[in-house]
Amino acid sequence: MTSKKQLGGVVEDAELNKNVGNFSYWVHRITGVGLAVYLLMHTFVLSSAISGPESFSSRMQDVQSPLFAILEILLLAGVFYHMLNGLRVTLVDFFGWTRHHKLFLIVVAVLFVILMIVAIVLQIPKFDIGNYGVGG
Amino acid sequence: MDAKLSNQSVLTWFLQRITGLFLGFFLITHINVHHLLHDITTKGLISFESVSENLASSTFWKLYYFLFVPMVVYHALNGLWQIIADFRLSGGAALTIKILLWVLGIVLVVIGAMTLNNLFGGA
Repeated sequence: MTSKKQLGGVVEDAELNKNVGNFSYWVHRITGVGLAVYLLMHTFVLSSAISGPESFSSRMQDVQSPLFAILEILLLAGVFYHMLNGLRVTLVDFFGWTRHHKLFLIVVAVLFVILMIVAIVLQIPKFDIGNYGVGG
Repeated sequence: MDAKLSNQSVLTWFLQRITGLFLGFFLITHINVHHLLHDITTKGLISFESVSENLASSTFWKLYYFLFVPMVVYHALNGLWQIIADFRLSGGAALTIKILLWVLGIVLVVIGAMTLNNLFGGA
C-alpha cells in the first residue's frame, strides 16, 4: 500500500486517480497555500498601523491601484473556492455524505460562478482607481 | 499497512473544520465591509481614518476581529502542517517544523493584535 516514493507518489496518484474528487483536493491545497501566503502579505500591509495613521494610509494607498484591483479578483477566486469546497468537505466528513460528494461539487461550482460574477462586477469600478481621492 | 500514511492527528483534522466553518462566516462579512462594499467612487480610497471610523464605534467589531485573527492564523498554519504531515517526515524534522509554525503563529497573532489595537484607536 505504501509507496516508497513521496513526492513522486503524489504525482503518480494524480495520474492514476483522474476523478473530480482528486482534482478538487489539489485545488483546495493549492488555494490554501496561496491564501496562507496572502495572509502574510495582508498582515505586513496592515501592520503599518503600528507605526501610526500616516504610515498606514500611505501603505494602503500603494495597494489600491488598478493592478491590485485585478489581483484581488484572483484572491477572491481562491477565497471563494476554498470556502465553498471546504464547506463541502466538512459536510461530507461530519455527516458521512461521501456518496453525494460529486453532487455537492456541482453545487460548489455553481455557487462559485455566481460569487465570482458578483465579485467581478463590484471590482470593475476599482480599475479606475487613480481617479478617486483619499477618503476619510 | 506497514507504515503511517500521515503525521496528521484527529484533533488537527477536527479543529481545521471547526475554524473553517467560523472563517466562512467571518470572511463573508470581512470582504463585504472592507473590500467590496466600501464604495471608493463615493467614499474615496481606504485610509486609516476610514477604517477606524468603521471599527472604533462598536464592541462587536472588536470581538469579531480579536477572534478572527487567531482563528485565521491557526487555520492557515494548521493547513500547511497538514500538507507537510502527509510527507511523513521523521520525528525530529516534524517537531522542528511544528515549533517553527507555532513561533510564526504567535508572532502573527501578536502583530495582528497590535495592528487592531492601533486601528481601534490605540491604548
